[in-house]
Amino acid sequence: MATKKKPSSDQGSSSSALDSSRWEVSCFWERRLQKELMSLMKEPPPGVTVDAEGAGQNLTQWIIQMDGAQGTLYEGEQFQLQFKFSPKYPFDSPEVTFIGPNIPVHPHVYSNGHICLSILTEDWSPALSVQSVCLSIVSMLSSCKEKKRPPDNSFYVKTCNKNPKKTKWWYHDDSV
Amino acid sequence: MGNCLKGSTADDISLLRGSDSTRDSSSSDQLGPPPPYQESLPVYYPSPNVSRPVTQLTEEEQVKIAKRIGLIQHLPTGTYDGCKKNRECVICMIEFMINDPVRYLPCMHTYHVECIDDWLMRSFTCPSCMEPVDAALLTSYETN
Ligand SMILES: [Zn+2]
Ligand SMILES: [Zn+2]
Repeated sequence: MATKKKPSSDQGSSSSALDSSRWEVSCFWERRLQKELMSLMKEPPPGVTVDAEGAGQNLTQWIIQMDGAQGTLYEGEQFQLQFKFSPKYPFDSPEVTFIGPNIPVHPHVYSNGHICLSILTEDWSPALSVQSVCLSIVSMLSSCKEKKRPPDNSFYVKTCNKNPKKTKWWYHDDSV
Repeated sequence: MGNCLKGSTADDISLLRGSDSTRDSSSSDQLGPPPPYQESLPVYYPSPNVSRPVTQLTEEEQVKIAKRIGLIQHLPTGTYDGCKKNRECVICMIEFMINDPVRYLPCMHTYHVECIDDWLMRSFTCPSCMEPVDAALLTSYETN
């Protein structure tokens, strides 16, 4: 009679159970960062390279190489950006600073690498990503007309917190 | 593109954004060294269903949180029906699956309930288009 059940072969759905347990192991923000890392490696924006090995080892801290765009004041220059993520990412913005020997001279970039860019603090949204932050920074640099430091650079650099997210940023009223 | 910010912190704390006066006063007298960043505003709740010891919050804060939760609960929810227009929740970057619980914002952007509620407790705006979610609700409160 045919009532014997083959125990194993029909029940091949156990792999999905495995998957779901993996979901629990890596939490929300790690999963999202892994996705972002993959897409940044596969389709990096022009002039942007992520240190995938370092980021793979420590997801909370990425180093990104950024080339000054052609036809801009920063053509031929190379910069390094550091991204730090908290477990509240993407609800909390990443901490983004320029590091290394070459900090771009720009009215919104302090000589200690801090960047005055609204999407990094108050205008952050979880729909933004490492990639969109990089694109914003590229375009911030590209639209620069004159290489100079922010007017309050020396004071700020002396007094600021190490974490730029602790800074309360204001518009530099250079247009008025 | 990017610019330094002006001092408006009205976003999280004032649900109904009536507090123009606080904005003015804060922007005039804080210039120098960075005052403590106000990220520890207690408006945030892990999620509406997870409660934290209320002893850590002032009464005023509790009211604000309760109001915020109330507003969030007014936003329509549903389950993902396979609509091609919204394929992925941009907060977790995971594609919607049929029957995922989702929440619809007035701008028609759609997110997982869990994902968007967490964000709305921090900022009452749509992550995708930055539309203030409470705009529609506001008009019924404000007289001017
Ligand atoms: Zn989601
Ligand atoms: Zn929207």
